[in-house]
Amino acid sequence: MSRSGWFPFLIGIGLGLAGGLYYAWLINPVEYTDTAPDSLRADFRSDYLALIASAYAATDDLVRARTRLALFSGLEPSTELAALAQQRLALGSGFGEGEAAALAQLAADLANQRRSPASTATRGPSTASTLVPTPLPSSTPRPTPTPGAPFSLASQEQVCNPLLAAPLIQVEVSDAAEGGVPGVEIVVVWDAGQDHFFTGLKPELGQGYADFTMTEGVSYTLRLADSGQLVTDLSTHPCEQPDGTPYLGSWLIHFQQTP
Amino acid sequence: MLATHLPRLILGALLGGFLALIYGWLIRPVEYVDTTPDSLRIDFRTDYVLMVAESYSADQDLDLAQFRLAALGPLAPDEYATDAIDYSLEQSFSRTDLEHLNHLAIALRALPQPGEIQAP
Repeated sequence: MSRSGWFPFLIGIGLGLAGGLYYAWLINPVEYTDTAPDSLRADFRSDYLALIASAYAATDDLVRARTRLALFSGLEPSTELAALAQQRLALGSGFGEGEAAALAQLAADLANQRRSPASTATRGPSTASTLVPTPLPSSTPRPTPTPGAPFSLASQEQVCNPLLAAPLIQVEVSDAAEGGVPGVEIVVVWDAGQDHFFTGLKPELGQGYADFTMTEGVSYTLRLADSGQLVTDLSTHPCEQPDGTPYLGSWLIHFQQTP
Repeated sequence: MLATHLPRLILGALLGGFLALIYGWLIRPVEYVDTTPDSLRIDFRTDYVLMVAESYSADQDLDLAQFRLAALGPLAPDEYATDAIDYSLEQSFSRTDLEHLNHLAIALRALPQPGEIQAP
């Protein structure tokens, strides 16, 4: 083909490409339909995960929650949910607190690989990817606080642990059988403000564990949100490393459910 | 002149269109990322509504339920609940699931509709 013969051919290719892209981008652009939760934008993904946790808090069906979480590829459930719980808690108001507690509870239960109590033969959507298997019966009681079974202060001690990066108020909440209880709200108050946090946000340290970083020179008062018992005068105290280097010490507070 | 070049022009256009399809479908196909809940497939959408209903059954927070359902699109929230019930019936969801969905739908329908005048 001569040089003049190539020219219309190349023009044709250009027109074909331009026409194809015009059709694909303007006349008949892509519409996102029939998508899966895994493709959701980050903020909607977070909301979806929080919704899974809220539904789990309502139904106590861990098998179903795990099945729903399995829709998200590459998800590290206990870690990611715990981090999300802290984000929600940081929101401070609105729907964030309830979702934070639910996320913390689910993160802790997943870390502990607990099976949920049996429910009826429920099933979810019909596709293979979302089928919810029949939950297995389990007699394991749920280690959450129950009305009429309050927590009381079991011990309170000063801790000198040079491995801690900052002075902490470390709280452990356990049931009557010494099992850690996640999702317990703790309120800490000091002269210039207050904050609250939940057990179970660091499942690697135990289901019933929570901590709060203290500032030097500030005196804190702590209580469980559902308890009137106060733990007062919590502040940093001097500790010394073996080589004589001073550092600030922590507190370890243990609450236990009354049998 | 045109008669001479027209076949080549058409051949080039066909080849260009073919290459565009190869590129768009095989080399770099559409990837669904950053989507919104309103594009969820019907089974996932139903499960989403079911989760809202399960959560509502425990906290009875209808504002929160409406807020969550609003992510599914511009329709009235009770329509999403109704659609979910229809799909659940088709797919023989459990009685418990249907009860959750039904309670949510009833609560949503009891809300005043837009433009509706409340009796004094």
